[in-house]
Amino acid sequence: MIEVLIDLIRYFLSILKSNQLDIPLIKPIIALIMKIVAQIPIPYLSNLVDFILAVILWRPLFAVVVMPGLTVLMIYLLYIVWFERKLTARIQWRVGPLEVYRPLRGAIQALADGIRYLFQEAIVHKDAHRPYFVQLPILAFIPVLLPIAFIPAGNVVGIKSPYAVQLTIAFISLIPITVIAIGWASNSRFAFIGSVREALMYVAYEIPFIVAAISMIFLYKSGDPYIIVENQWIPGAILNPLAFLVFLIAMLMATSRLPFEIPEADQEIAFGPFVEYSGILFGLVMVLAYEKLYVMALLFTILFLGGWNGIYISLLGDLNAPIWLTIKTIVVISIIAMVRSMYARYRIDQAIRIGFSWLLAFSMVALAIGVVIGYEGGI
Amino acid sequence: MDEFLNFIKSGKLAPLKSWGTKWSLWPVHLVTACCGAELAHAFACGYDGERIGALNYGIARQTNLIIVEGAITRKMARVLKITWEQMPDPKFVIVMGACGLNGGVFWNGYNLVRPSEVVPVDFFIPGCPPTPEALLRGIRQLQKKLETGEAESSAYFYDLRLEKGKPPRRLPGVPKKISAAPSIVVNRPRKVDWAFGGELCEKLKVLRVESVAITGKNRIALKVSADKLREVAIELKKMGFDHVKSVNVVDVPGENKFIVEYHISSYSSKELMPVILNVFAEVPRNEAKIDSLSDLFPSADYMEREMQDFFGISFKGNPWKGKFLLAPDTPEFPLRKEFKLQEEIYVGD
Repeated sequence: MIEVLIDLIRYFLSILKSNQLDIPLIKPIIALIMKIVAQIPIPYLSNLVDFILAVILWRPLFAVVVMPGLTVLMIYLLYIVWFERKLTARIQWRVGPLEVYRPLRGAIQALADGIRYLFQEAIVHKDAHRPYFVQLPILAFIPVLLPIAFIPAGNVVGIKSPYAVQLTIAFISLIPITVIAIGWASNSRFAFIGSVREALMYVAYEIPFIVAAISMIFLYKSGDPYIIVENQWIPGAILNPLAFLVFLIAMLMATSRLPFEIPEADQEIAFGPFVEYSGILFGLVMVLAYEKLYVMALLFTILFLGGWNGIYISLLGDLNAPIWLTIKTIVVISIIAMVRSMYARYRIDQAIRIGFSWLLAFSMVALAIGVVIGYEGGI
Repeated sequence: MDEFLNFIKSGKLAPLKSWGTKWSLWPVHLVTACCGAELAHAFACGYDGERIGALNYGIARQTNLIIVEGAITRKMARVLKITWEQMPDPKFVIVMGACGLNGGVFWNGYNLVRPSEVVPVDFFIPGCPPTPEALLRGIRQLQKKLETGEAESSAYFYDLRLEKGKPPRRLPGVPKKISAAPSIVVNRPRKVDWAFGGELCEKLKVLRVESVAITGKNRIALKVSADKLREVAIELKKMGFDHVKSVNVVDVPGENKFIVEYHISSYSSKELMPVILNVFAEVPRNEAKIDSLSDLFPSADYMEREMQDFFGISFKGNPWKGKFLLAPDTPEFPLRKEFKLQEEIYVGD
């Protein structure tokens, strides 16, 4: 019986070992750890440590859990909330969050807010549809977090698929449904208005967004991120600038950033669909738009900014690609965060007119450009 | 409130709880008075309350701090309570300004309540209005209270010993002077160069009025007896006067009467447009009843209700009963001269 179990573990280990991250920088560190562990007289300890290290450095798990997956996402969430508040404060001649931890210029402000939310009462009001009201903030994470499994960073990839771009777009299109359902379950008039506005914005940006992404798929003649990134010795932004522009604006609309902050307009409808949420449930729904922004920015980087292409540092080995992808994504998001403190909000009819008139027209032209370049033999 | 403070200071995660709550005190917008300007100042570029983690937020559900800015009236107390109930626990209250402390310039007003009677208050900031520094200091002290359980106050309270047998010390009363004479005269005539006024007076004298007097350019005062008011109003409506501009009551306790004034004017007839008739009647104070004109002139309805609230005059024919503008628990007839405010005893029983 035990022999079967050991065989099974050996088999798993062989699978894990066959697909390990190759990072020259940490090889001596791992060797040192193994050396120290081997001296401790506990049976099977070195095997266990070996197994744990093999699991952490297994490429699919590393992609999903560490980089560019959940760990980076958490750090990014802390960073972006702080960065946004700090930047807005600087533009308004203020200081912004500071005193919570001075050496880091208040960078852990979002952590303090999160902890406060965690220990606050989560009110489920009388009129709410109780099961949906509580479940939906958690269910909403499924379409947000699933694309991370499909988005590759060089050799580090969760699930390898030639249709990764299409899959990501499909998942992103699912997110507004959960937001509308959240508003519906809240059963409050502000939440209703917010839901309807979310639906209106959805029809305004979704078609140009998909068409712009499809134009890039036509341009590279594939939906496989590897082929797309390989072909980008000129960044996609220069090859098809109209698709770049349309995608950028659609990204602002989709994540309800400020010029299009229509569903969540806190001056008029008090955070729209999320008005009734409190405590940790509000913490969950508040980061939804930021996570959506992260996924869309990953896609944006892969399609237009050369993905994980960058200066290769041989010491980092396989870690090069995730690091470059993350850096590019964070830079894109930081630039988008800047837009927030610069522009006023559009009226709802103006936003929909933009979506259905020139944004749609530009996306069609971008599609034509993509088809022409792709038909001419690509790059 | 101690209950919330206990929650934060207890359990194994107490340091984490108090740290998170301390650096994330988000005040909700509940601006009732001029202290709101100081609050805006405290969170704008000069002082920047966001430095210490306080972010003004629009919605009660996602916040944990109320800063009561100024006077809380009886009607606003309900709003304060609702806002407080909407917020998730643990939640805190800071009261800002003299009005919130003890009434301030509205001290002992019939329509004022103290926030501490409505919600549990954690910290008071005196001043009229408090400076932004004082407000930020208040938030700092609340943080300190969350951290150590005790806020530091710069106020010093003297120890006063109670001596039995001595009369209680009261705050000086509000001066209320009721003069017997001279009486209030509404229809004091004045000579003005106004030809049309003379013609109008001749027409009005035919009606069943007690006296007609020109009190100024375009102003005519008609004295009627209380039971004739309605008949006169019907006649005036036939003449072209079509609306009531205001309804007034003057309390004259020296002569034991109320003077009820209706200011009647016209929108439809061009030459009557600038003219304002002051049709007034005197009613005894102990039996304050008069006919309502709200069915003849609908615009009188609102102000009749208001006068009913403030003076307790019943307008026969006006169906409104109960409080109109005042909160339901306001003491009765606060604008009558004999209305007594509640006296405050600060030493003694």
